[in-house]
Parts: sequence; C-alpha cells; structure tokens
Amino acid sequence: MNVLIWIQVDTLCLICITGGVMRVERVRTALIEADGGFFRNWRKELVSRRTFLARMAGVSVAALFPLAAGGASPAPKSNAALPDDQQAVLAAVQQHLFPSEPGIPGASEINALAYLNNVLADPKMDEEEKAFIRNGTEWLEELVREEQGGAFTGLNAAQREQMLRRIEQSSAGENWLATLLLYLFEALLSDPVYGGNPDGIGWRWLEHQPGFPRPPANKIYGKL
Amino acid sequence: MNIDFDVCVIGSGAGGGPVALTLAEAGYSVVVLEKGPWFTEQDFYKDEIACCRRSTYTPSLRDERHVIEEEDGEGGWEAESTFDSGWDWWNGNCVGGATNVMSGFFHRMKPDDFRLLSAFGPIAGANLVDWPINYEDLEPYYDKVEKVVGVSGRVVSHPYLEPRSTPDFPFPPTQEHPIAGWIDTACKEMGLHSIPVPRAILPRAALGRRGCEYSGYCGSYGCSSGAKGSSRAALLSRAVATRHCEVRAHAKANRLVSDKAGKVVGVEYFDQTGSTKTVSARLYVVACQAVETARLLLYSTGPRHPDGLANNNDQVGRNLVFSAGGSGTGDFSYAGLDRHRAQALRVRGPFVNRALQDWYTIKAKEFGAPSKGGTIEFLMRHPNAIARANPRKWGEDGLVWGLPLKRKLEAYFREARYLRFEVFCDWLPTDNCFVSLDPEVQDKWGTPVARVRIGYHSHDLKVGHYLADQAESVLREMGADNVRSSVSGSPPANLVAGGCRFGNDPEVSVLNADCRAHDVENLYVTDASFMPTGGSVPYTWTIYANAFRVADRMVERLGGPRVASLGGKAADSAVIDLNQGSKE
Repeated sequence: MNVLIWIQVDTLCLICITGGVMRVERVRTALIEADGGFFRNWRKELVSRRTFLARMAGVSVAALFPLAAGGASPAPKSNAALPDDQQAVLAAVQQHLFPSEPGIPGASEINALAYLNNVLADPKMDEEEKAFIRNGTEWLEELVREEQGGAFTGLNAAQREQMLRRIEQSSAGENWLATLLLYLFEALLSDPVYGGNPDGIGWRWLEHQPGFPRPPANKIYGKL
Repeated sequence: MNIDFDVCVIGSGAGGGPVALTLAEAGYSVVVLEKGPWFTEQDFYKDEIACCRRSTYTPSLRDERHVIEEEDGEGGWEAESTFDSGWDWWNGNCVGGATNVMSGFFHRMKPDDFRLLSAFGPIAGANLVDWPINYEDLEPYYDKVEKVVGVSGRVVSHPYLEPRSTPDFPFPPTQEHPIAGWIDTACKEMGLHSIPVPRAILPRAALGRRGCEYSGYCGSYGCSSGAKGSSRAALLSRAVATRHCEVRAHAKANRLVSDKAGKVVGVEYFDQTGSTKTVSARLYVVACQAVETARLLLYSTGPRHPDGLANNNDQVGRNLVFSAGGSGTGDFSYAGLDRHRAQALRVRGPFVNRALQDWYTIKAKEFGAPSKGGTIEFLMRHPNAIARANPRKWGEDGLVWGLPLKRKLEAYFREARYLRFEVFCDWLPTDNCFVSLDPEVQDKWGTPVARVRIGYHSHDLKVGHYLADQAESVLREMGADNVRSSVSGSPPANLVAGGCRFGNDPEVSVLNADCRAHDVENLYVTDASFMPTGGSVPYTWTIYANAFRVADRMVERLGGPRVASLGGKAADSAVIDLNQGSKE
C-alpha cells in the first residue's frame, strides 16, 4: 500500500490546488526562459511552492493512511533536530544527487548535510518547507521498506537511483528532490561563512569569482 | 494646535529622498517615516544568501504579503497571496527603499512619453492620457538629479536623444566591459546606434561618497562603497546632515488621519515595538512605492474621505502600470573565440552599459501608423552563483542529478558567458490593472493588505515581441549562440508605477499637476504613483526628478527657503558623514 505514498500525496495536492502540477511546470518554464534575470524581478522558482508546501505540511504517512496509522510514526515536531536515521537518509540522498569525485567536491566535501541542518534549525525559514523536507525523508523510507524491504542507506547506487527516479514521478517527490538540490547548490556556492563551501571549494571548482567585500560572521543573514 | 514638523514624508526611497533633502536644505523641519530598518554601507556585503535568497531587505511574507489577481483563463480572475505563491512583491523596505538595490540604469523619458495620447492616438481598451506637464517642465530636474544624485555617462547623438540643457553628464561613464565594444561594432554594422547607458553610479569619489569598486555585483545588492546613487546615500545622508531632517526607521505608517474639512492632521504609525505613535505636520507626502501608496490612501478613511483619502472620485489604485517587455539571452563560448577575445570576455567587474533606442518609435508595416516602441538594455548574466546553478537541475525530462549535473555545471560556469538583454516598453494602463484593499487578508498589524489585479493589454506583447526580435538580431550579429527570448504579460514587481496618476481632470486623476491630491489640500504623492504612463525606460530617474520638482513647489508654498541652500559647489565639496544611520 505504501508504494502509493508519493502518488497519493500528489493526488491530495491536485485536489487541493487547482492545476497544481501545471503550475509547477509553468514555474519551471519561466525559470528557464528568464535565466535568472535580476534586472527585473521575474518570478522566482518558489512560485506557488508555498501553496504546495502548506498543503503538504499536515501530511504524514499516518494522515494519508489512517488505517495503517498504527504502523506509521507521526511527523516529528518541526523544530526538533532530525533523528540520526533520518540524518543518514538525507546524507545518502545528498551524496547520490551530488556525488564526490577525485579532486571535485561532492555533498560531503561541501558540508551539505550540516548546511541543511542549519536551514532546518533557522527559525525564520518557512515551517512548511522544513516540515516538507523532514516528511519527505520519512516517505522515502516507507517506500523503500515496502519496495526493497530495507533502508535507503542499505541500497546500492543503482537501487538508489531507481528509488529516487520513482519518487520523481510525483510532483511531491519532484519538489522534494528539487528542494534538496537547491540547498546543495547553496552549500556549494554560498559564502563559507554559512558553513558550506569550505575555503571556497565550490567556487574554485566552478571558477566562480565571488564579489567583495565578503560578509564577516557578524553581518550575515539572520544577524543584520 | 501643536504641529510637530513642517513636512512629514512617508517612505524614504526615490520619491521621499528628494523631498526630504530639498525641504531640509530650505530650512524646513522634516520627518521621514520608514517602515524598514536603517542599513549603512557597513551592512552591505556581496552575500548572495542575505541579498537574494532570504528576506533581509524586505519583510517576511508570513508577516506581510500581497494578494495578486491573475486572469484564470476563463474570463475571470483568480487571487493568490504572495505568501502562498512565493512571488515576492516587496522591493527594498529599508531606509533608501528600493534605490538601495537598484541597478541604476538611468534614462530620461522622451518628450513623446509626456504626450502618448496626442503623439500616437488612442488604443482601444487603454486609458491613455497626456501628462499635465511636458518634458521641458521636468528637464531642469533631470539635470539636477545628474548633479545631486550623481549620474555618470556620455552623451552621443542618436535619433531619439532627448533635448538636454547641458552638453554632457557631470561624471564620465563607469568602466566598461570589453563586450561593449563588440555590441558597438555589431550595431554599427547594422546601422543602429548603441548608446552608453547613463548610470546612477559614481565612477570616482565625489559628493562625499566613494567611487565604484567594480566588484561585479551591483543590481539586487546594497552598495558598500556608496557609489550607487541610492536615496539613502545620495540624499537622506545629506538631509540629515542639515539637522533639519529626522529619519525614523521601523516606523510603519498605519493611516493618515483627516479632519472634517478633509485635511490631513496627522499620521498614525507603529514603531518597532508595535506601539501606536502619531506625528503631525503642515504638509504630508506619501511615497511608499505605488502599490503601498494606494493601499495606505485607501485604508486612510476620514469624515470627508469615506472611501479612502484622495479617493472621492474612485481613482486611487487605478491605472497601475509596470514596465512591459521581456528579456533574452545569447551564449558566447570561450571555445568559439580567439584567445584575445576569450580573454576579454572573461573580464569581470566593469559594466556593459549599452542600450538601443532606435525603435523608441516603431515605424513598421505590421503596426500601421507609427507606434510607441521602447528601449533595449544589454547586460551580462547576473553573477549570482546559486541563481545560476539552480536552473541547471532541470533537464529535458525532469531533474538532472549526479555526475551529469556536475558536468552541466562545469560547462555552464566555465565554458561560456551569457549576454542578456531586457526590453522596456509601455504597459498600457487598463481597467484590469489596479490596487484595492483585500477583503480578508491582513498583515501582522491586522490591517488589510493590498490586492493587485495585474491584467495587461495585448498591444504590450506585440511591442515587446517586436523589440525582442530586434535585440535577438543584434546578438546573432555579434556571433552569439542559442539566442532566445521571452516576452510575457507577467509584470516585473520591481518596476511599478501609477495608481495615483496626476492630471488636470479630477474625474480621472488623483493628483494635480503639482502632485498634490485634488481633494486634500495638504497631501502630496511623490513616488512613481503619479505617472499616468510609464515611458519605455526604468522609472527611477523620473521619480527622482519629479520629486525634486514637487519639492520646489512645496518650498514655494511654505514661503520660500528659510536658509541659504547648500546646493551646487558647496554641496559637492561638503564633507558628509555617510554613516549616520543607526541600527536601533
């Protein structure tokens, strides 16, 4: 039954939001076309994502499958630190999405998990988005248990790819992966003062020239 | 009755700064209420997270949002709050407003922009009118902005060069990227006139500010050198230095209170703790950016203004306009260039500074009669790294990750640069583009938020496509690959005007030619709200110039200058502390 989790989440989304999937598509098109213009403030990627996230916020495996509630854990309170097993799943997903190579940084070299934990601990970040990141981890684990009879961390690379491509088929899954990728890019390319991109490793790899002056630790987001 | 100040200005951006400076220099006491915090140059860093990925210079959408009404495709309108959509409509809510984060592309409007109706005739479905003033009325103030705010550039002859009272800019152009020369060459070949773009950026230290440091990160960022001519750096610092101007940060105007005669008698505002305060003045100026100005007036009902201040003819919020148009890109791969050109292309820091106005009036068969066109701006792809990386995750059929994503990033970042263009054309005012009070959604203070209907006129798209096609042909002439563009009726929320348009007929305008409300004798509006049509250039220079013009009318009305003005050379050499801003 839990195989359907991502699809069910998607259906729920479609019921709640008129044309939910279409809007996500439209956002993507706009983004590619606008190519990140800053002269004009084009719609950012998050268009309608919060609507989506708000609908997702209350969704847990238990909520989707009340009959199976006994077997499903409730969504964790959003400000609590992620339990170790979920940390391990997130780290494994990040590493799969952004693998390490000799001389080229991957998720572990850019401190991607620590960076994501900072995001999840930021009181100013959207609670819905934080809950969505956490819940997605649970949904993935449920799906893997159902399909493969184990944990995501126990899968080989091909199986991980298969599972992630599987969840990508739903808009909930696609959004979850797109969100993790966004924070991977932040960990790769934000100023090292935020905890990712140690010593500018991401900038060096992509030959990116940061601007100056660079922010001191007491003048960063959250402290200004 | 005690009056606290001569003038109370609500909003500290392009509309508020010139009024505060002019009145303070004339010896009148001024208070400026600014909703946001007071950042200084010591708070601005090239930090993509703080600048552009989180809300630092704008409110949290959870606390304060807008409701946007879009066509639903079935003849109706569907509304969604910006908190739900994530489409942030705030621009620079801090001392200096959005001018802190502007790119400073400064163009004057052209004489025809002041008389769109009589120059080009009516267009069905568009509420076109001529302005009640003409270019000659504003020219002295465009000139003043060049000197006081600091505009750098170089005048070249071209078919649509507007008349000037001085031969050239007071400051030479900022340093230019080598690709500017490539644009010039291509345009010359095509018989076009590429023009150096005037910038509100100082190329060297002047006016008590430092010159540009060419970090390569300008638009969207606060300026850490003070070279950018923000209202904060260029105007409010000087206004405060006169000791006649007080800027109150974290002061969110709640409503203007008016008496039985219809006159404004005070402004109620919330301070940082949420307490309600009141301030009174002889004259009141609203300059909160077009959407918020309309919202504040609509919310400020009074005995003589039951439907909102200055709204007795139901005009407040109507005829909102944006900058119509679109944008495009062309790729220049290092591999496709000889060594010298590739090396030149890699240069980072200087500006492209090129625009085309050859089609400011379009004379093309498909338009029939001559038609109003617009401006094409060239610029490099913004250097923000996260913003450049993030779209790479989308492939033809879904997400890209793993090693393919990494190879894609390498190619995008290392192998090419991307020259972009932006098209600016008129957004025709229509009955389907306006601001009202949302009947349900409220901000954190419990007051109704602005609801914005953003319908557009199909003519705007026609003009946008025409100009984008011309811009694409320039990129192709330059040898760019993968040239593409996008024109849509989706408005840029940072280029907004109208809503309280000025005019001689109170039936169809909110303000008179002096930008004083027709039906409120001591109320002025000096942000972009006054504009009945927006021209085909970014608005900031025109907002600054008009606010200086209106400020002069206010000084006259109050009885002329009380003290000798600091203007001209004295101001240029004055040593001014740029860091009077205080974080409370």
